[in-house]
Order: sequence, then C-alpha cells, then structure tokens
Amino acid sequence: MPTMLVPDLPESLLDTPPSAAAEGTRSLEALLAGYAVGDSTRHDMLFDATGELRPHWRELLEEFAALGEQGLAERADEVQRLLYENGVTFNVHDDLRGRLRTWRVDPLPLVIPAAQWRELEAGLVQRSRLLDALLADIYGPRRLIEEGYLPPELIYEHPGFLFACDHSHDDAPRAGLVFHGVDLILDDQGQWRVVADRLQAPSGAGYALENRIILARAMPTLYREAPLRRLSSFLEAEHRTLAALSTLHREQPNVVLLTPGPDSDGYFEHAYLANYMNLSLVESLDLVVRDSRVWMRTLGGLKPVDVILRRLEDAWCDPLELRADSLIGVPGLVQAARSGGVALANPLGVSVLEHPGLAPYLATLCERLLGEPLKLAPPQSWWCGDPQALATVLDDFEHLTLRDIEPGSSWIRTTELSEAELAVLRQRVEERPSRYVAQRPLRSATAPVYDDASGRFVPRPLNLRAFVTADSDETTPGPALGETESDGRRYRAMPGGLAWAGVPGTPSLDSDVVKDVWVLADEPQRHVSLLRQAAGPIVVTRDGNDLPSRVADSLFWLGRYGERLDVRARLLREGLLRLLEQEQAEYADTTMADLFEVLTLAWPDVGSGEHGGEAGARAAGASLGGRFHDLRAALLTLLDDDTRQGLPAYFQQMLRNSRAVRDHLGDDAWRVLNQLRRQINAMPRVPSASAGRRACEEVVNQLAAFFGLCNETMPHHYGWRFMDIGRFIERVLRTLELLRLALLDAREPGVALWEVVLATTDNVTAYRRRYRSELHPTAILDLLLFDEGNPRSVGYMLKRLGRQIERLPQPDSAPYRSREQRLIVQASSTLQLADIDLLADVHASERAREALASLFDDLLTPLEQLSDAIGHSHFSHAETPKQLIKMQVQP
Amino acid sequence: MIYQLRHTTSYSYSAPVTLCHNEARMLPRELPWQRCEASRIEILPSPAVESERQDFFGNRVLYFAIQDIHQALEVSVRTRLETRPRPALPVRLPGDWQGCRDTLASAAEKSCLQARLYRLDSPFVRRNPRLADYAAASFTPGRSLLEAVQDLNRRIFDEFTYDPSFTTLATPLIEVLEQRRGVCQDFAHLAIGCLRSIGLAARYVSGYLETFPAPGQPKLVGADASHAWLAVFLPGWGWLELDPTNGSLPGEQHVVVGWGRDYADVPPLSGVMSGGGDHTLEVAVDVIPESPPAAEIHPEQAPESRRLG
Repeated sequence: MPTMLVPDLPESLLDTPPSAAAEGTRSLEALLAGYAVGDSTRHDMLFDATGELRPHWRELLEEFAALGEQGLAERADEVQRLLYENGVTFNVHDDLRGRLRTWRVDPLPLVIPAAQWRELEAGLVQRSRLLDALLADIYGPRRLIEEGYLPPELIYEHPGFLFACDHSHDDAPRAGLVFHGVDLILDDQGQWRVVADRLQAPSGAGYALENRIILARAMPTLYREAPLRRLSSFLEAEHRTLAALSTLHREQPNVVLLTPGPDSDGYFEHAYLANYMNLSLVESLDLVVRDSRVWMRTLGGLKPVDVILRRLEDAWCDPLELRADSLIGVPGLVQAARSGGVALANPLGVSVLEHPGLAPYLATLCERLLGEPLKLAPPQSWWCGDPQALATVLDDFEHLTLRDIEPGSSWIRTTELSEAELAVLRQRVEERPSRYVAQRPLRSATAPVYDDASGRFVPRPLNLRAFVTADSDETTPGPALGETESDGRRYRAMPGGLAWAGVPGTPSLDSDVVKDVWVLADEPQRHVSLLRQAAGPIVVTRDGNDLPSRVADSLFWLGRYGERLDVRARLLREGLLRLLEQEQAEYADTTMADLFEVLTLAWPDVGSGEHGGEAGARAAGASLGGRFHDLRAALLTLLDDDTRQGLPAYFQQMLRNSRAVRDHLGDDAWRVLNQLRRQINAMPRVPSASAGRRACEEVVNQLAAFFGLCNETMPHHYGWRFMDIGRFIERVLRTLELLRLALLDAREPGVALWEVVLATTDNVTAYRRRYRSELHPTAILDLLLFDEGNPRSVGYMLKRLGRQIERLPQPDSAPYRSREQRLIVQASSTLQLADIDLLADVHASERAREALASLFDDLLTPLEQLSDAIGHSHFSHAETPKQLIKMQVQP
Repeated sequence: MIYQLRHTTSYSYSAPVTLCHNEARMLPRELPWQRCEASRIEILPSPAVESERQDFFGNRVLYFAIQDIHQALEVSVRTRLETRPRPALPVRLPGDWQGCRDTLASAAEKSCLQARLYRLDSPFVRRNPRLADYAAASFTPGRSLLEAVQDLNRRIFDEFTYDPSFTTLATPLIEVLEQRRGVCQDFAHLAIGCLRSIGLAARYVSGYLETFPAPGQPKLVGADASHAWLAVFLPGWGWLELDPTNGSLPGEQHVVVGWGRDYADVPPLSGVMSGGGDHTLEVAVDVIPESPPAAEIHPEQAPESRRLG
C-alpha cells in the first residue's frame, strides 16, 4: 500500500534546481502553445469565449511553465512510475501479457474555482437529499406512486427494485443513503449536468485519493503551496458516519469493507480504501449470519461486525432473499440488516435509484419531496413508458441517444446506426417502451489534458465523478442517522473527485487518462497529512486473533507458491548453466536427465531436433548442436505462460494469493512483487540459455527481496506465521525430494548431481568452507539434513516449523496436541533419532541406502499431511451455500 | 367453514447441515372473508432465531435460522381458521373488457395504480403474443370483462389435462401451452400470463383447498396438498379469484395463504443451507373441516372430481 505521508523524494525530483529552472523556464504562452480550442461555440475550461485564460488557472500553469519542458516531462514520468508501483491496474484479474491496461494520471489537475464549486456542491448535496427521500418513499409508503408522481411501471419494472427490501409494513427506523457518487459533465454551454448516479458501489473515491497522493509526491512544493481544498475532512466525515451507523457497539464498532474479491474490477480500490480507512477487507466467505447478526470468521473464532461498507452490488448480497444463484452473497444478510443486527452502507435496494428513467421526473420530485427547485439539471431525457414521452422520442428518433433500463447497458447514439439497425431499435422501443430511456445527446466542454507524447496540453472532453457522504457530525446533537425524518440527514461533498477524459458517459475504466480535481479555496489551507488520525481512543491489540481465516489461508499459499517458484527457478538455472558449460561436450550427461525428471520435463528424443531450420537440418546426424537446441528448447518451455508447472503459472498462483491479502503486505514488498511481475511477463521472450539463466537469477533475487521485506516489516503475528509455515513446508518437501534424488533415486548418483543439490540450495560456499574437500555424500547429508544451524537444512526447517506451529492460535485451549503439532513432532523426532553412523557410507553400502530410504519415507509421510492438517484446523471455510428448493426461472 | 389446517414439510439430508436460514410462507393471511386464529408453529430442530414480518405483498413471512448441526428439518404449521363466502360478484361492470383495460392503464385511482404492478412480467410469467392469442378466443371485442375472464378460466379447465408427472418448477409456460397439461401452479401461471399479455392485471394466489374422498372412502390423513390459483383485477370492483385447475370461482373451501406476482413470491418454504448433500422431501397437508362440509360446491361438479394443486 502506498505510504500516506508525503515522503522524501530523491534530491533530483524534490525541486527543479535553480540553474536548470532558469534554463528550462517557459512562458505561459509557450506552455500552452498549440492548445487549439477550435470551436468558439463550445465552452472551454481553460480559455473563455474571448480567448482569455480563465484566471483560476494562471497560478498553477505558471508553476508548470517554470518547470520547463524537460521538468514537466520528468514530473509526468514520475507520476506514472508512482502509479505503476501502486499497482493500479484495472483488469487486475487479467495479468496475461499485453492485455494489462493501466491508465495515465495527468500531472495537471482539473482546477475548479471556489465560487463554481460552491454552486456545484449545493447541487450535489441537494441531489443526495433528494435521492435519500426518494429511497425512503419507494421502499416505504410509496406515496409518490399513489399520488401519480411516479408511474408504477417505472419503479417495478426496474431490476433494481428489490421486493425484499420493502419496509412499508414495519415502523423500524429506515436506513438512509450513506454514500453517493455523481457522474457529471460540464456541457458546451458551461453548465454542470448529471449523467448518472452511483449508489451500489460508488467506486472512484479511492482513485481520487490515490491521484491526490501521487501528485503530492511527484510535485511536493507545488502541491503544498497550492490554495486547494484538502480531502482529509471529507474522509474523516466518511469514517465518522460509518462508525455512527453501528447500533450496538458504538464505542468501538467493527466496520468492514465487503468486496466481491480479487477478481472484481474494483479490488485494488477496495484494498486501498480498506487500508486507508483502517477497515478489515472481507469477502462474503469471511462473513456469516448467526443470531441475526453478522460475524467475521477469524482465527480466534467469530467476531461481530457492526457496519458493512459494501462494494458488492445489491442483487448479489443474499442468496436467501435476493438472487438465489449468487455465490458471493451472505445468506441471511437482508434479515440481519432488517432486524438492525448490522448496518449496510449503502443500504440494500439503492440500485433502483440508478434507474436512468428517473431523470425526467427529478425536477418535479424535488419540488414535491424537498419543496425546492432542482439545482443540477439532468440532460433532457424521456422515459419511453410514458405515452407522451414515447411519441416525442419516436418523432425525433434519429437525433437521440437511447439505452435499455437494464443496469450496465450503454447508451446508443442513433446517429451512429445504420438504417436497418435504426429500424430494429425503433421496433424494440415500440414493443416494450417502458424498457427504454432516451436522451438529447450531450456535448462536453473541453479542458486541458497533458499529452505525454507531444509534451503539450490538448483540449479534451472530461467526465467527473463527485462524491457525497452523509455526515453525522458528532459536535451537534442534530438528527442522527437512522431517524425516520428524511429531512434530518445531512450530506457533504468531497472537495475534489475523479475526472477522466472521454465523451459524456465514457466509463472511467475505458479512459486512457484520469485527473485529480483541485477545488480552489478562498484562503490558503493548512496542509494536513492524508494519514488519517484516529478520532477516538485506540484499543491496542497485538494478538492478531481477528485475522480472517481466509486471509491466513491466502498467506499460507502465498508462502507455498513463492517457495515453489523459487525452487523451480533455481533448478532451471542449474539446468541452463549445465547446458551452457557443456556446450562443446557430449550431451549424454545423465545428470541432465535427472534434472529433467525433477523439473517434470519430458526428455527430448534423440534426433527430434526441429528447433530452427538449421538445427533441424543438422539433427539428421543427431549432431551436438541439434541436441543442444532440443534440450534448451525443452528447458525454456518452463518460461512459457501455458506450461502447467512453469514459472509464470506458479507466479500467477502466488500473485492471486497475494492479491487476496493486499492489505496485509507492506508497500515495499508490493513494489518488489510488481517488479517480479514485470520480470515474469517478459519471460517468454527470453532468446537464449544465458538470458534464461539471468531471468531465473532475477526471480530468485526478487523473491528473496519480497520475503525478506515481509520478514522485516510484517508484524510477527499469525498472518506472518502462516506465510512462513507455507514457505517452510514447501521448502522442506522440495529439499527432501531433491536429496532423495541425488543420493538414492538418480540414474547416476554422483558428484555432478550433488553439485546441483548444493547449488540449488545455495550451499556451495558453505560446503567448501566447512569441508574444504571434494564432495562426499556423508558431508552433504550432514549439511542439508542434520545441521540445525544451517537454514537450508531439513533439521533447521523442522525446528522452525515446530516453533511456528506451536504459536498458532489453539481453539478452546485443548490440553492435547493438535494434529499438526503431532505431525511436526513426529517428523522432528524421526530426524533426531536417525542413526547417522549407519547412513555414513550411503554411497557404498546397500544397508545404508535402505536406511536412508526409510528415513526419507518416515520424514515425508508426516510432512506431506501437514498442509492439510493446518488447513483443517485453521482455514475453516464456509461451504458454498445451497438452496433448499431450486427455483430455476425461465429465461 | 371452520378448518383445522396442518401443513408439515420434512427434509432429510444425506450430510450434516451446519447452518440454515429459511423463510416460510405458510401462515394464512387475515382477510375480510378469512379469520385466522394464532398458528402453532413447530420447527425441529428448534431454531435459534425466529421472527415474523409482512412482505411487500402483505403476506406473513416467518424467518428462522437453525444454527446447530442437523440432518433433518421438519416445519409444521397448524392453524384454525374460519372462511366465509367471498363477496358477491358484481351484477355487471360498466363497459367492455377493452374499456376496463384502458381504465386500468390510465386511471389515477389508488387501487388501479396498485394493480398495475401485476400487469408486468415476473420471474415465472413473461408476457407473450402466443399467450395473448390463446386469450383472444375468450376476450372478443365488446365482451364484458367478467364474462371473458370466466370463459378463459373455464377453457383452461376444459382444454388442459391435469398431469403431475409432466411439469416441474422449471417447465416454461410456453411448453405448458403447447402440451396442454400441467398442475395447478402451471394453470395459474398460464392464466396470469394470458391476462397480462392482453394488458390486464393478474396475481398468483397460494393456498389450500379442502378435498373430498371418493364416495364411501375415508379421508386419508395428509392427503391434501397446497393449491394455487389466481386473481384478476376488475377496475372499479377489485380482485376476482379464479381457479382454472377446477374451472371454478374459489369459495369457502379455498383457504388463502398469500399472493404475489407468481410462485417465486410465495413459495411455502425456501432456504439456504451450508452442507446437507442431497435431500429428500416429504410434504403432508390436511384441511380438516370442523363443521360438516357444505353440500353445495358447484352444481355441475361432483366433489370427487375436484383437483388439487
């Protein structure tokens, strides 16, 4: 996770040195040269209609000009570097090479002057109040329908209206709107227009925060001195509001962020926000409803949850009362919320407010519900279910944009359709008019966007997402959240937001560039660190008992896969090295065959060399060159994406598990992981054995850095312990496997293979220093099996595992040893009781070989069960819930 | 009529269930012509949480959660209740059915606005031109709505075969229409689909029907079953119930549990559980009259021909 404090930066980036500044400084005119607005009828956010620079940009742009062309390009690069390191990738679930998309963060923020913001803010807050009142009526008395303000079909036909969320028959306090994301554009006349409301999982606030932190880091002086409104008070309000939602544990409410999981688009942001707001990041399998309350499955048992900040869409939240086919919901959640056992932010059912067909009704509804005119005008739009609106739409069909009311559908511009497509759409609208909404196309104003290719600013249309939160100000005893009076709920808007380039309605994910939004303050603002300050007393905890069991599980597998990758990279390195060293020699080397076996690679047939035309031609005589090519090609398949036990495959597993525990890894470790990802992504392009060897070396180094940083920075509590256990279970199993091969099973046991073993375990130097002699199996056995002082020995690993397992949380303090404790004790004592003298001449005596074979068996038997035993005791996963009756609904 | 109602559902699982959350819609609604005494609910094993509420449609819903490991679940509800005759049919409704349809679509009157929900598609019932075609024979231009709906009800009874082996919950409505067979739930969905497809409002009614053994046979315990029918909205009058399975208008022998857009809104028992493996299900329903059964049922219909759901 990114550091929240403005950090120290390399000297060169802190400020432009005076001399360079003098050289590079440009005039404002030079900076904006080539910024061609073109169309004078279109509002531009930088220049007014007469071509004058709007005054609120001047100060910031002069700073930019002073950086010089080179200085600005450097800042832009720095911004990108910081962004990359944060791992902001949208398709986080899709790491295959070439499909990895990231957006660019514009070094130039969108500047909104104070007066313009005040007006916009009032409109945003009003809109939240309006939607809150609307929500209360739609799921409550439904007066708006009875009084004819809302056509019943408008509400009931929208999939977002959830019958289970109705509370018209009970008088329990209703849950109101907590968060609200509003998508806006500034139209070509300079008017703010609301394009959409985001209520189920209003994403983007985390990105807005990230953009702010990145700009602050890349341009510290500029940021510190700018008279812009800071985000911290908004975030404090957000936190306060969440805490205040808790009905039962007001003192120390347990607030969690519920994410659909690492496969969802927003996962990075979920992890980012959870970390920033100090919330536990949970998935539905971490939660269970018992006694009408929500509980989190942790290592220490069930821990109550008071408030859920929800990033899971309405319909998927509860397979009992909502979508029965949801596998990512929490059964009983609706009932738990209904009975007050847990508070959800936002409450369930808000998706109906995202209905695009509500827009034409909002002005009237605002008058009816709030008694005031609507401040932020929606675009001119029609819900076709209204006969009059339908007639208007059909009349002007060729000039509108239309969309289906189904959530997630996109707008269709009728001007872009062919004659035939137009006719089809028209027919569909006529058949089911209530399913369509039409809109007069919007045209955006333009705003300056930095183009990193040309180093210039270009005018582009922008979209803006603003954020509003309910504010339960503790200082005034005003109407608290949860009270029935809708007028009592107060809201405040984030002085900033997320802007992205694109025509109106472009999804933020599809944009190539995002911008921070700077709202100018009337007077200079005190700089407040974005590191959130605790509002209340902190309860100091150290035991880590509240670690979700799923997180422990993922950390365990992160350790195992990381180690597996390490062992493989080391073995492959040895293989390639051997190949290179023997380039001129005979390839009948049986060591290579043994290596292939341990790498689970098929031994290429002699003479099959079809790798490269030349090699293929020479292979007729099974020439040495052909053999070399065959073996190299076989080894290098381990660098391919689709090799089942290849390096990239193991890395993907490691990455998947690391994502699920994103908020438990330190920033530095995450940075290393990102570097490793780049490394792995470049692998299949490795052209030669020596490049392959270097790539393996790089992987080994990065992994060492990653686990080293984890050891240095993760608190040595349960989470770290599980990761460590995972690593050492894997390492001890692989080491035993390798030793057995080298000493017993190999086609030709001998010095060559022993060297591989020592090199793979990085013990060549240790061996030489200690024995100063040629290789001898007894010495190897002592070094790698028995010597507890050698961190690469089985003895050391067993000791470490024993210590770690001893300190795992034990359920209800059972007086007897757990299964995993018994297994590790069994393995340790087997090793300790082994007869070293008997094993001494393993290379010569059959009896010694038999004794060693049974020693390996006796060690491997308990160790192979250890992983399952730990999983069984600690990773108590919920089974996938099942429906009592299957209600398959016809399509 | 006064009835003792008993509805028992038993599940038996092949593997232990560690936790289950359930909703039962087995508690009959209070209606002007239906008075219910307090129900006796027995759930085994006994639930850790039990709470009753009203859903969107005003049905009584019992939520319960069992938090101990169990391998069988039994839910038994007994209710003593009294039914009276439904309100008399309107002598005549003003205008023809098309007029009623247009009134429903446009009237600002509260009952019409509320009924409009039931003109829309629902999980099991989608409007379809073929359903409209089937309805057309009954809904001839100029015919009164009351006459037309009764004709549709009668036609489904006459033209469709009651066949419990044919359909499951998942059988699409169009298949029921093509094959002309199904059970009460299918016929109710079919009639609802027909009515909605021509712009009328219809809702699904879940309940019980008193049955009669064949002459000379004793009534068997647990032999009754839940039943389903529908109600159509007559603007200016209200909801008229129809039982296409029996081709009749529901009377005192039809006990109403609840209603919704279709079956999905009112399943007697639904739930989500952890564990359980496979399960077997047994349902026993008794509708036992306390007073001697009323003799007049339907003039042309012999009691033993009465069909269940």
